[in-house]
Amino acid sequence: MSELDRQIAQLKACQPISEAEVKSLCLKAREILVEEANVQYIDSPVTICGDIHGQFFDLLELFKVGGWCPETNYLFMGDFVDRGFYSVETFLLLLALKVRYPDRITLIRGNHESRQITQVYGFYDECTRKYGSANVWRYCCEVFDYLALAAIVDGSVFCVHGGLSPNVNLIDHIRTIDRKQEVPHDGPMCDLLWSDPEDINGWGLSPRGAGFLFGGDAVRQFARANDVDLIARAHQLAMEGFKHLFDRMIVTVWSAPNYCYRCGNVASILELDDTLRQEYKVFGHAPSDVRSVPIKRPPAEYFL
Amino acid sequence: MDMNADELYPIAILMDELKSEDVERRLNAIHRISTIALALGPERARDELIPFLQDSVDDEDEVLLALAAELGQSFEDYLGGPDFAYLLLGPLETLAAVEETLVRDKATESATKIAGVLNQQQLEEYFVPLLKRLSQGEWFTSRTSSASLYSPIYERVSDQIKEEMRRGFTALANDDTPMVRRAAGKWLGPFVEKIAKEHILTDALPIYRKLANDDQDSVRLLTIQDLIVIAKKLGPKDTKEQLLGQLRSSVSDKSWRVRYMVANHFVELAEAVGSEIVNEELVVAFVQLLKDNEAEVRTAGAGQIPGFAKLVDREIIVSKILPCVRDLASDSSQHVRAALALHVTGLAALVGKESTVDDLLPIFLQLLKDEFPDVRLNIIGKLDVDTCQVIGVELLSSSLLPAIYELAEDKQWRVRQAIIEYIPLLATQLGKPFFDDQLSALCLAWLGDNVYSIRESAIQNLKKLTAVFGEDWARTQVLPKLVSMGQHPNYLFRITAVLAIPVIAPILSQESNQELMAKVLFPLMTDPIPNIRFNVAKSLEVMAQQVAQTPEGCELGRASIIPAVERLKNDSDMDVRYFANRALQKTVQLVGA
Repeated sequence: MSELDRQIAQLKACQPISEAEVKSLCLKAREILVEEANVQYIDSPVTICGDIHGQFFDLLELFKVGGWCPETNYLFMGDFVDRGFYSVETFLLLLALKVRYPDRITLIRGNHESRQITQVYGFYDECTRKYGSANVWRYCCEVFDYLALAAIVDGSVFCVHGGLSPNVNLIDHIRTIDRKQEVPHDGPMCDLLWSDPEDINGWGLSPRGAGFLFGGDAVRQFARANDVDLIARAHQLAMEGFKHLFDRMIVTVWSAPNYCYRCGNVASILELDDTLRQEYKVFGHAPSDVRSVPIKRPPAEYFL
Repeated sequence: MDMNADELYPIAILMDELKSEDVERRLNAIHRISTIALALGPERARDELIPFLQDSVDDEDEVLLALAAELGQSFEDYLGGPDFAYLLLGPLETLAAVEETLVRDKATESATKIAGVLNQQQLEEYFVPLLKRLSQGEWFTSRTSSASLYSPIYERVSDQIKEEMRRGFTALANDDTPMVRRAAGKWLGPFVEKIAKEHILTDALPIYRKLANDDQDSVRLLTIQDLIVIAKKLGPKDTKEQLLGQLRSSVSDKSWRVRYMVANHFVELAEAVGSEIVNEELVVAFVQLLKDNEAEVRTAGAGQIPGFAKLVDREIIVSKILPCVRDLASDSSQHVRAALALHVTGLAALVGKESTVDDLLPIFLQLLKDEFPDVRLNIIGKLDVDTCQVIGVELLSSSLLPAIYELAEDKQWRVRQAIIEYIPLLATQLGKPFFDDQLSALCLAWLGDNVYSIRESAIQNLKKLTAVFGEDWARTQVLPKLVSMGQHPNYLFRITAVLAIPVIAPILSQESNQELMAKVLFPLMTDPIPNIRFNVAKSLEVMAQQVAQTPEGCELGRASIIPAVERLKNDSDMDVRYFANRALQKTVQLVGA
């Protein structure tokens, strides 16, 4: 078994790999990612996934429902890290699969794949706690800068973490962005990772303080101009796992069941078969007998 | 050990680490403390390291926990042997008094280990005073810790100290703080194990009575296990005289948590008190618990039914327990019904065939139709060969099968998986003709489930069924299915067929495997989906291992497998090329070029 296959097996068991291994994995990942386009072309069949947020055991649940990589092709639409307890294992497993099977799995960037956000929402702390220094966090952030911004399946399903930007009418505009940088506070790159669809006309200010709200007309116009049949995005919790808007022109796919271990939602993945027929597979969180929340203290004695 | 400046240097670093600002580094250093001790040598470890550790007990809980654990791992070996083990009691005493429960528990655990290597004189000189100090500590934490340290040393000290210790434990049971009384309740059992019977009557019984009548139910509930230990030590006669009243009041305690503990330990309790009390008192008590208002109590009681039934006459089972079982089968709580379903079949052997059919079968059938999947799963999983024979195949088909069909379509995939895993066992019980009529189609349909894990389990299931029913069964049932799936327009069916082949190939004949290659694998080499093509390569690799076992097979491998993987080796997809290359290498190794 190759070194990389061993690392994948180790990460699947939720055991982090060594700092030196992370470093070399991240270097190899950058070599692969730098060759990818801002809007990466991918072929069907592919299974599209939304936010994971470090919920490692729920990611395993996702693979149990959707099939393992490489048997199943995957597109993950960002937000691999933060909030959950296992961002390190989650991101490194996905990255190791990417390096091992570059054609079978595609990772695009979410708004949490950023230095600023990960310092607030947990990934930075988790790295320093698990490795004793911020080095692993730094290696990972360098990889984040290389992640594609969007993907398009068979030329007709546009996939992005957040949504549209008032400054991007054509997919070709995205191709002109220099993406190898920290996520900016505004501009097209920021909007793609931060915006949300909303029942409004045209464009609105986002309560998130970054990106925009965009309405059905913006979606229809973008779809027409780019000959796109569907926009798949993540970024917002959908209690039923997925949510269609604007005559099913756009769908939110959410893949973190029982988000933050307490929201009570189910998750889903979107399977596109080789004819682009959509099938949403809904799944719940991993059963509690597999470890989903690390236990600092043992459970109290019965009833005490 | 000879020391020079060079060798001392790393020790200095480690000592520095122990003083580091960074928790991680201190933690790391604690885990290497035995290395430090070894390097220092016994004398300096005693004179310098132990006092240093004693002083460093003001740290993060995580570090203290690690220290408490390290000191219990035969650390005396680094101090010069068991003679010096008592030195470790100093830091452990301090650790046993800290606020964090985990640290205290680990410290007392280590102290208990050290007690094991001390001789009587050392125990009395060092350990007993420590026990006294902890027992009379100002803060409840040390008194709580002390409770666990009585039982390990009691047998090994003088009679006078024994008496003092019994008084000390009595004081813990009368402590003002419920935490301390809880600790006393928890450790009274192990302590009683060591006490002579006369002193149980004079000292342990009053302690037990005090705790069993505590204001706090969290204390009372811990005394159920003490009761069991005391009853075992006293024997039936004294138990009846001394404990009956308390037993009655625990069974009907006003707190359901206490009743839960009684129900949960009922069989153990019944075994401890002896058959007279069982028949006179506990049958009624058990019925009472099975009718308790709280579902938790009934759930715990349901789990004890077969165990308790073993201790009473068949007549009592039929007249007293079965009516309760009937009620529990339609209990309002699904958890009670699930617990019952898991245990009720254990009654069949106790009541005999006739009563099983008359009394238990209606209950089994009712549970098989329960609206809650776990109940159905539990009962199905417990229907063993004997029970099935008693019920008979006809009744089974009319009641068991509908339950299985419904579970097979449950929307929770784990329920579907649980039923699949039960199928091979069912197959052995039902026999091939019945199985083919009723269940084969279902097993094949699982191959098209929309959850990957179910398809995977379905494949494993077919392998197990082939092992039960034999190759002929696979040839008529499984092979045609795989061939047709391999031609299905939906790629998921095609890939499932390809994934199934390496799993079942090892238990099929050459002839069947050749057929699978010709009809499934080779046609799919040109499939438009690369995932299918590289799995064909993987499957061919497994096929090569199968055919390589005979000379004709090797010939077949050279004639058909090698050309196939050589073609896949030039595929446009990187992963197909990778797996084809790997398959080619393996195949050439096995069958020759």
